[in-house]
Amino acid sequence: MPSRLEITLKEDLFDAEGAAIRRKANDYFGYHVGSVRTIHILTIDMALTEEQLEAIQRDIFTNPVTQVSSYRPLDLDFDWTLWVGYRPGVRDNPGSTAVEAVEDYFKIRAKEGEGIYTSKRFCLQGADLSFEDADRIARELLANDTIQQWRVFSRKDWDPATGIGIMVPKVKLNHRPTVTAIAMGSDEELAEISKARNLALNPNDIPTIRAYYQREDVMAERRKVGLSSATDVELEYISQARSDHCNHNTFKGLFHYRDLATGEHQVVDNLFATCIESPTLTLKAKKPWVVSVLWDNAGVGRFNDDYHYVITGETHNSPSNMEAYGGAITGIVGVYRDPMGTGKGAKLIAGMYGYCVGPRDYAGALKPRLHPKRLLDGVIEGVRDGGNKSGIPTPFGQVWFDEGYLGKCLVFVTAIGLMPARVLGQPSEKKSTSPGDLIVMCGGRVGKDGIHGVTAASEEFSEHTPAGHVQIGDPYTQKKMHDFLMEARDEGLIAFLTDNGGGGLSSSIGESARFSNGCEVELDKVPLKYEGLDQWEIWVSESQERMTVAIRPEHEARFMALSKKHAVESTVIGRYTDSGKLHITYEGKTCAYVDLDLLSSRFPQWTFEAQWLPPEHRGLTEPVLGEPTDPEGVLVAMLARPNIASKEWIVRQYDHEVQGTSVIKPLVGRGRDVNSDAVVLRPVLDAPEGLAAAHALLPAYSRIDTYPMVACTIDEAVRRVVAVGGDPDRIGGVDNFCWPCIQYDPDQNPDGKYKAAQLVRANWALRDTCLAYGIPLLSGKDSMYVDGHLKGPYGETHKVSGLPTLQFTCTSVVPDITQCVTLDAKAPGDLVYVLGMTRDELGASEYYEHLGHVGLRVPGLHPEPCLACYRALHRAIRQGHVASCHGVYRGGLGVHLALVAMGSRLGMAIDLSKIPGSGGLRPHTLLYSESPGRFIVTVAPEDRSAFEALMRDAAFACVGTVSEGQDLVIGDPDRPAWIRLSVTRLLSAWKGPFGGLI
Amino acid sequence: MSRTDPHKRDVRALRVHINALIAGEASLESYDILVFDGGFSWGDDHGAGVLEAVRLKYNLGTALQRFIRDGKLILGICNGFQALVNLGFLPGLDADYETRRVALTFNDCGNFRDDWVYLAVDSASPCVFTRGISRLELPVRHGEGKFYASAETIGRLVEQGQIVLRYALPDGAPAGGKFPYNPNGSLDDVAGICDPTGRIFGLMPHPEAFHHWTNHPDWTRTKTLRKREGRPPADDPPAALHIFQNAVDYIKKQTA
Repeated sequence: MPSRLEITLKEDLFDAEGAAIRRKANDYFGYHVGSVRTIHILTIDMALTEEQLEAIQRDIFTNPVTQVSSYRPLDLDFDWTLWVGYRPGVRDNPGSTAVEAVEDYFKIRAKEGEGIYTSKRFCLQGADLSFEDADRIARELLANDTIQQWRVFSRKDWDPATGIGIMVPKVKLNHRPTVTAIAMGSDEELAEISKARNLALNPNDIPTIRAYYQREDVMAERRKVGLSSATDVELEYISQARSDHCNHNTFKGLFHYRDLATGEHQVVDNLFATCIESPTLTLKAKKPWVVSVLWDNAGVGRFNDDYHYVITGETHNSPSNMEAYGGAITGIVGVYRDPMGTGKGAKLIAGMYGYCVGPRDYAGALKPRLHPKRLLDGVIEGVRDGGNKSGIPTPFGQVWFDEGYLGKCLVFVTAIGLMPARVLGQPSEKKSTSPGDLIVMCGGRVGKDGIHGVTAASEEFSEHTPAGHVQIGDPYTQKKMHDFLMEARDEGLIAFLTDNGGGGLSSSIGESARFSNGCEVELDKVPLKYEGLDQWEIWVSESQERMTVAIRPEHEARFMALSKKHAVESTVIGRYTDSGKLHITYEGKTCAYVDLDLLSSRFPQWTFEAQWLPPEHRGLTEPVLGEPTDPEGVLVAMLARPNIASKEWIVRQYDHEVQGTSVIKPLVGRGRDVNSDAVVLRPVLDAPEGLAAAHALLPAYSRIDTYPMVACTIDEAVRRVVAVGGDPDRIGGVDNFCWPCIQYDPDQNPDGKYKAAQLVRANWALRDTCLAYGIPLLSGKDSMYVDGHLKGPYGETHKVSGLPTLQFTCTSVVPDITQCVTLDAKAPGDLVYVLGMTRDELGASEYYEHLGHVGLRVPGLHPEPCLACYRALHRAIRQGHVASCHGVYRGGLGVHLALVAMGSRLGMAIDLSKIPGSGGLRPHTLLYSESPGRFIVTVAPEDRSAFEALMRDAAFACVGTVSEGQDLVIGDPDRPAWIRLSVTRLLSAWKGPFGGLI
Repeated sequence: MSRTDPHKRDVRALRVHINALIAGEASLESYDILVFDGGFSWGDDHGAGVLEAVRLKYNLGTALQRFIRDGKLILGICNGFQALVNLGFLPGLDADYETRRVALTFNDCGNFRDDWVYLAVDSASPCVFTRGISRLELPVRHGEGKFYASAETIGRLVEQGQIVLRYALPDGAPAGGKFPYNPNGSLDDVAGICDPTGRIFGLMPHPEAFHHWTNHPDWTRTKTLRKREGRPPADDPPAALHIFQNAVDYIKKQTA
């Protein structure tokens, strides 16, 4: 009989978790809950004696200073008690560590099927709450039905003797692993099978697959290993490898692009090759600091003579949209494995985040699965735990609110690693598998996690069905694996390593076997979380925290000893060969035997119709706006816009200083509360160099044209790293595209051709801007299908597509960290400069959005003068002539002058008529135009001539001074104080919307 | 710190895996200073530092008690402090290094928080790590840093000078519980305590994260203003480093 231990804080201790629930119940639903107390429950399903149970209660699970506990239900007062626990098969991290602690305490091993499960019980006081209210708190605040189950008890239903009862969410499959042979007599039959098994095979691929199995030589070889028809293991392998996720079929597709205004038509063959690969290879040839790009899990750039940095970015949109916390933590912990699995392995030094969600206060008629407020909370917490518990700083991130993301949220996660340039004299970025190398799986075990997703979602939930499609990352297991692999790398034990993410072993082994040209895998050796998985499930499971490593046989003993020291499970599950075959067996019997080159054989290219209609032909025009008579009101309102306002509450939840590398922090300035343009880390503590990093998002511009959207996004990310001291000639880029579906369908996707044209134009901008700025793309990913079908007020559904979005990340090396600058003006009397031209470019600006317009004149980038300006500015920063530097981004000069004033806690007097480009522009255009390429710089009077000499070829002007007082004063000779706002007033507006959140 | 050769007074910092100590691949006897650093040991499931303390206590308890008896130094930072408290090494009242008497529990603000804090140092404390330091600025980065103990225990800690560090206002006066100066709701603003001998010290803030003047949140401002006065960007290594230097000096003196 399992035992249930209830643990709670002593009565006089403040229950912060309970208080937060109480607050949210009020904020979200307007419920008045008197108090909430939290009880932590351990359901112990292990054969332990009563004495043993008492011992672990006393010595492990109860803190005598703060807690009380009992194996009987705790007698806390409540009107309603809500129990929330995981569904079977959901990763229960504290449950696993509890087992580990009990094993260690008694020096025993838990037997097969034994376990400890954690859950919580919340005791609510609130006489006014109805059952429906209590259930809503459980359903919408505490639990998510994809991963959790809950029960609601009223005081009168409560049996103080039995409490919640004994809930053991153990997975019981009672299934005998079976390989299924699949006959495919016709293309139609295979299409049916694909649908029934959720293989998602592209119809165009089906004839190629069938043709392979009908080849005489293939059939003869298969007979020798006892196979005839294709097996499910094989089809799953092919399906994974051919998926858009793994193969980027969209970006490698053939686009028929037609400009409907001019009638011009052109064929664009393979966006990846023409807009990403080719420019990057061109730039790599010119820039020796680019070490390794375009083939590995992440890109590699030189940091200094002794170290390389490694970077990539990912998204985890769909899972986060289903289960925000689980999706986000799995996303950040998952992307860490990319640098970890690049070359011979990189240590993680930073993570970054970008969230695109619906408005936090959305009150419209559509019903997203999770309200944006709850979704954002969950995503923030997921990345918080993933980053903080991994000991990796999370120093930079952004949030973008837009109703388009109600259909599907975007969760961007970026990871940066560091590796020595050489490992025992060998280049660290190189790796390969050779015949005879052992295939080792390290880290977590395999369960039904992440298998297809859809398969699990369409199954009825029963008490013991694993909730497979949504996972919860486990930073603890991964941290141990990370530390282990870094030691193994330094001892030269790793020939090859890669992570198990999308596609699981199928992808990691399938890809690594191409180096040696073959492999033999014994699936029965793979450690499982529970018995009963089919062979194909073991092969494609996406259970997290696993790496696949190739080691030479002579290193096996040492590798395993290190693994044991770090308490990491490592298992030899096969070996690499040069047979040309992917050969999989289970208990000695072959269940897959496929030529590795099948996947490089000619599958038909995906094709898309792309039709572009320029914005002026889509009916977009400039709004006819008169000048505001309350210009101060405008600025105050702009600062309080959700996409501009302070989001300090997110930043402070993230440990941005662990590893001791922090040089420029995410929040800077006198009050340490204004967002820095970029962050700078000093990853090698005894080297002078730093790594600057930032990213940018400007999806609003896609409403007009995705070309300037991409160009301006890249420019913003570039300026961000240049502003803190990054070298504009050593910038690396990471492109993360998130796009709605671009395949035209008259019913399901009637504007698919337009969306396809938007993607083509975005890629052209990526190519042109990267070439102009000299930015090699170190890494990048694309995530298509940012669409959702939301229920409306009458039960009808609406398709909601997200804005075409690019998150662009820039890194740059700072030659000497002590020369870095921040955005805050340092002293009264300093001169304020604006660099770069301001143009009449309010289209899709925050200002127009605030006034309810889109407009037409979207900001356009002129990269050549910009780059010259950035280089001159960089020289001025290096020579110490710049006291502060801040880029002008979303919201324009008005918002960003205010940010500089807030960061400084000093006033400024600004003359709008001096702003470069001001001729003929009205004040509100000057203040809110979002023209790229601009900076606000302050300079000490004594540095004036040196600074101006360095900048002489750029568009720049001194537009004012930093003042003694606390007022930001903006005007022109006619109206010297058109705007006068104190720093205090600016701060209260900017912190207004989210300042109360912690 | 390893005492490989007392005459050469060779000081080296080594990372030693807890499992290497348990397996006997490394021995506590070869070291003079033991530092438990920050992190989320065992994910901080079941309470911050709880499972680390359990693992240490039931696998290395005897060796650790001997380490204390031998007069060596122990420093616990953040998660390390939480582990020391759960091991009962702190506060070590009445030479009892086994009983848990104080706790570090969930922040009152309800969340993990990364921020720099001002700290006031009790100069009368016997703590060997803080000798000569009166004020500090350091980052805190924790979700469970609220110091909690009975009024009686806190009274005894005050009496014996064991409350080494208190969260303070910018002017150095105690924060008086005021958020965010006291970032977690710690009783009596406690940020760090030592045992009665001053040889065991635990603190929530991170001295190791202020090892260079460019770690400080105000460094760009300070550097710019000092430059205009013709001064170098910083005079001395950050005071936080004295915590480690004091420990090394103490051991050197003991073994001289």
